[in-house]
Amino acid sequence: MSLKGFTRKFKALELLTEEQLTALHKASLDVLETTGVRVEHQRALKLYEQNGCKVDYSNNRVRIPPSLVEESLRLAPSSYRVKARDPKNDLIMGGDTVYFQPFPGTDAIDHETWETHRPTRKENYECAVIMDALENAHFMTCYTPFYGWQGVPAVMSIIESDAARIRCSSKAFETASSYDSERFAIKLGQAVGAEAWGYMGGAAPLTWPDNAIEACYKLLEADLPLQIISGNTIGASGPVTIAGATVTNNAELMSGVVLAQLIRPGARLLMMDFCFPQNMRTGSPSFGGIEAYLHNVVFNQIWHHYGIPTKTPPPGPTDSKRIDYQNGTEKATGAILAALSGSNLLPLMGGVYGELSWDPIQAILDNDLAGIIGRLLEGVEVTDLTMALDLINEVGPIPGHYLSSAHTRQNWKKEFYIPRCSDRLTYPEWMASGKKSCLDYAKARMEEILATHKISPLTTEQEAGVEGVLKEAREHYRKIGQISEEEWSVYQKQISGKGYPFA
Amino acid sequence: MEAEILKNLGNSILEFDPFAAEIWAKKAIEENVDPLRALAALTDSIRTVGDLFEKGEYFLPELVTAADVLQRAVPILEARIRETGGHRESVGTVVIGTVFGDIHSIGKTMVSTLLSANGFQVVDLGVNAPAEKFIRAVKDNNANLVAMSALMTMTITEQRKVIECFEKEGIRDRVKVMVGGSAITSQIAKDMGADGYEATAPGAVRLARELVGK
Repeated sequence: MSLKGFTRKFKALELLTEEQLTALHKASLDVLETTGVRVEHQRALKLYEQNGCKVDYSNNRVRIPPSLVEESLRLAPSSYRVKARDPKNDLIMGGDTVYFQPFPGTDAIDHETWETHRPTRKENYECAVIMDALENAHFMTCYTPFYGWQGVPAVMSIIESDAARIRCSSKAFETASSYDSERFAIKLGQAVGAEAWGYMGGAAPLTWPDNAIEACYKLLEADLPLQIISGNTIGASGPVTIAGATVTNNAELMSGVVLAQLIRPGARLLMMDFCFPQNMRTGSPSFGGIEAYLHNVVFNQIWHHYGIPTKTPPPGPTDSKRIDYQNGTEKATGAILAALSGSNLLPLMGGVYGELSWDPIQAILDNDLAGIIGRLLEGVEVTDLTMALDLINEVGPIPGHYLSSAHTRQNWKKEFYIPRCSDRLTYPEWMASGKKSCLDYAKARMEEILATHKISPLTTEQEAGVEGVLKEAREHYRKIGQISEEEWSVYQKQISGKGYPFA
Repeated sequence: MEAEILKNLGNSILEFDPFAAEIWAKKAIEENVDPLRALAALTDSIRTVGDLFEKGEYFLPELVTAADVLQRAVPILEARIRETGGHRESVGTVVIGTVFGDIHSIGKTMVSTLLSANGFQVVDLGVNAPAEKFIRAVKDNNANLVAMSALMTMTITEQRKVIECFEKEGIRDRVKVMVGGSAITSQIAKDMGADGYEATAPGAVRLARELVGK
């Protein structure tokens, strides 16, 4: 049993010639052998050294021989299962399968002013329910979707958020990491029989922070799958050319693959591309830049050549602060290119601007976009049945038509995808409907979900397990002084309230 | 000769030539040009680059490179200023760093470079800087401004911690605190007790000037 997702039924879009691909690969190996990467973790430095890398302990620089890189790439599986709370939601990563998931954000949005605000616990749980209800969100995101909410101490954000997703959905479970949160995420997963799928996040250029490496060790030692992410800002923390930014990004990720495979040979890896062009005016990344999507296409081609599944978040956030034309253009362009070029996992739903804002109406609209792309990936089936030669002969020229044929009745729903929220009315119908737009339809769907959607609840034992982990985490962070008395007094009121845990 | 040196120093910025900046700064010392006048020639050009940025003709690569070029000449001229018992007029002293747990540096470096170019005395703590390092740097340098960067959502806590530690150490009133980084919003900045927040590198310079009243 597993969740099917979408299947790309044609050859992936490739932009690089074989010569270009080889050149980028060799350049990446050259960076690892000549320039090397900075690794801020003593245990990892020793492991690299024991396996033939040159390690300079004075500046934490590791230089990796090409043979070790290539051997490590071969060891990573090209396809694998990730266990969800409910086995029917297990993911099979790799091959031509494309899954979608939400893209998280820090704040919620007010639709009148388009300004953001810190969400409440209730908003957060409601949005987790909405994510569960979306049929094309095959997998939950690493937050709930917000990066915490009012009254929750920052160190508890990820763990509370993990618990919320586990409570609201039996879809596969992703976690982020900070302040050692992965140790609690692993236990939360174990409490409900799901694998906590976490990250090892690099810092460009060519650097691995100690907390990223620590998370890598913890997750792999628990035999969990690992997402390896590195993202440069093209033109700032990576070269300004797509080729140059690809080389440094590739080298960063390859050095992560080497470490992961040294820790656990055969470790299940997902390579994640998080590169955006630098906004040369503000100093921020340009979240909706076409260069990010171009980078995704090249990235997919390279990592599929290595036979390791990929994830491409750039179509998730946009540069627009509203749900508008720009936002739709950026998302659609990026998501279509990423899906066509072979992304196995595409974070898309709900992200509005950068990583700042998340919105349920946006998520519902993006769910339609995922459906549209899913239809595109199905491609065109060419068989005797679909070519319908007998039928064409039977119907003939006008006044013949196809509406009343069994062939139409039996096949149209398979051939046509109908987005739930697009305005497809005729003009008079649109007038009569009160001139509704896709935003109105999405809002109506949101209200319907909140009124009717049934989540699959945890068993009493699972709930006790989840609450036990939360209690342990709260005690731990209070003990080491990461939750101040002031924070605790606000937080305690929230977690002892009548509506807990859902409000 | 002096006129030629001053012109070439100014041009080194406008032509983004770090080697020329260094050579002409050394030449200025050799020829006994007033180092404060040499510095003024450089900062006039920095202002020109800043104006072109404001007009939309130049972008961050020009702005940041110009500031880098300036930094090639400044230490040479400052050494001479100190020797002659003078001092460089400073807008303020800022301690800047990416907080503990976060090693992302590009945003912090951009701001640090631009602050230097705009007349601030900058003490750059680099990345992954714990609260104690900020406290020591503020005390040692008698700083009146602290700028903290955090890219990661999770390291917001660390920015808050630095501010709390300033309070415990009794130095919070001595410094203005500004925060930045992708993870921050003005609301988060306000909640943590910072005096200001800016989303962009050039905006951070404006904010810094406002905070120190210049």
